[in-house]
Amino acid sequence: MSAHTHNPTGHDHSGSAHGAHAHGELAMGHHHVSTPELFRNVLLVLLVLTAITVGVSRIDFGGANMLIAMAIASVKASLVIAFFMHLKWDTGINKIVFLSAFLFLSLLFIFTLGDQATRRLDHEMHATKAGVDKQWVQPPPAGKH
Amino acid sequence: MSHDGHHAVTIPAPGPEFVPHTIAHHFDTPVQEFQSAKLGFWLFLATEILLFGGLFAAYFFYHEQYPETFRQGGRQLDWVLGACNTTVLLVSSWTMAMGVRAAQTSQKQKTLLYCGLTVLGAAIFMIIKFFEYKAKNDHGLFVFTDMFGGYDTASGQLSWFKDYDGVMANVPHGHLFFAIYVTMTAIHGIHVLVGAGLIIWIMKGAAKGRFHSGYYLPVDLVGLYWHLVDLIWIFLFPLLYLVP
Repeated sequence: MSAHTHNPTGHDHSGSAHGAHAHGELAMGHHHVSTPELFRNVLLVLLVLTAITVGVSRIDFGGANMLIAMAIASVKASLVIAFFMHLKWDTGINKIVFLSAFLFLSLLFIFTLGDQATRRLDHEMHATKAGVDKQWVQPPPAGKH
Repeated sequence: MSHDGHHAVTIPAPGPEFVPHTIAHHFDTPVQEFQSAKLGFWLFLATEILLFGGLFAAYFFYHEQYPETFRQGGRQLDWVLGACNTTVLLVSSWTMAMGVRAAQTSQKQKTLLYCGLTVLGAAIFMIIKFFEYKAKNDHGLFVFTDMFGGYDTASGQLSWFKDYDGVMANVPHGHLFFAIYVTMTAIHGIHVLVGAGLIIWIMKGAAKGRFHSGYYLPVDLVGLYWHLVDLIWIFLFPLLYLVP
C-alpha cells in the first residue's frame, strides 16, 4: 500500500515524519505513525470489498457462497487488524496474544462443524445400514414395528 | 528516566496547550507503562474475540442444521440498512485511526474533530439499528417486550416469536434465526455504545490537553476497542443480512 514511516527498532532515526514528534519517541519508546494516505487507501479497499460482498451474494455459487463471503470478510478483518489497529507494527508478544485468539477459535469451529458434518454422515450410514440389515436380519414381528 | 520509587516519572508536554503526564507509580519507565497497558488490552481484545466466537460457532452450527431457516430469516432483514451501517462503521473506523494519529502527532483540534466524527458514526449506527429492531418488533419476529416471556404453550412458540405475517411458517424453527440475530447484534450494539462513551471520555481528556506525542496511550487503546467493534460487524453483515 502507500508509503508509511516505520521504525520497528524503537531507536530514533532521521526520518522526516519523525522530526515533528521525536519527543514522543523518547517518551513512549514506540512510534509508528501511519500516513493519512495509508489509512485512506485501507478505507477505500474496505468499502470496495463491502460492495463486492453484496455483489457476490446475488450470485448462486451453491455451497461456495459461504466460503466466498467469509474469505472476503477475513481479508477485510486482516486489513483492519494490520493497519487500523497497527498490529503490523506492534510487538511480537501482542501479535501472538491477539492472533492466538483466532487459532483457538478455529479449534471451536473445526470441532463444532466437524460434529455437524459427521452427524449427516452418521445419518447416511444408518440409512445404508438399515438397507443392508433388511436383507440379513429377520424383520421384527408384525404389529411391533 | 529510571525511577527509584520516590520520584515520579513525568513526560513533559510538547506545547503550552498540553499537560505533562506522570506515569503510574508502579512503573519505572513510560515505555514499560505503555507496553504493559498495550499487552493487557490485547489480552482483553482476545477475550472479546472468544466471546463473539462462541456466538459465531452457534450461528454456523444452526446455519448448517437449518440452512433454509437462515436464508428465509435473512430475507426479513433490510440488507440496504445493513450495508449502510457497514459503511458507517468502516468510515468511523477510519476517523478513529485518524484521531489516534492526530493524538500521536500532537494535533489537539484534529484529535477532537476525528473523535467527534467517530461518535457521530456510532450515533448513526445505533439510530439505524433502532429502526431495524422496531421493524422486527412490529412484525412479531422479535417482540422485545416479551423477550423474557419463556415458552408460550398456546402458540407452541417462544413468547417473543409471534411472526404476525407468517413469513417463517414454511421453515423449521423460524425463531432460531431471530434469536441469533438479536443476540449477536445486541451484544455488538452494547459494544458500540460503550465504545462511543469511551471516545467521549477521550475527547474530554483531549480537550484538557492530556494527549500528545509523549502520551497518547488511552487514545490508542480506545481506538483498538473501536476497531474491534468494526471487526465483528465485518463478519455479522454478510452472515445476517446476506445469509449465504
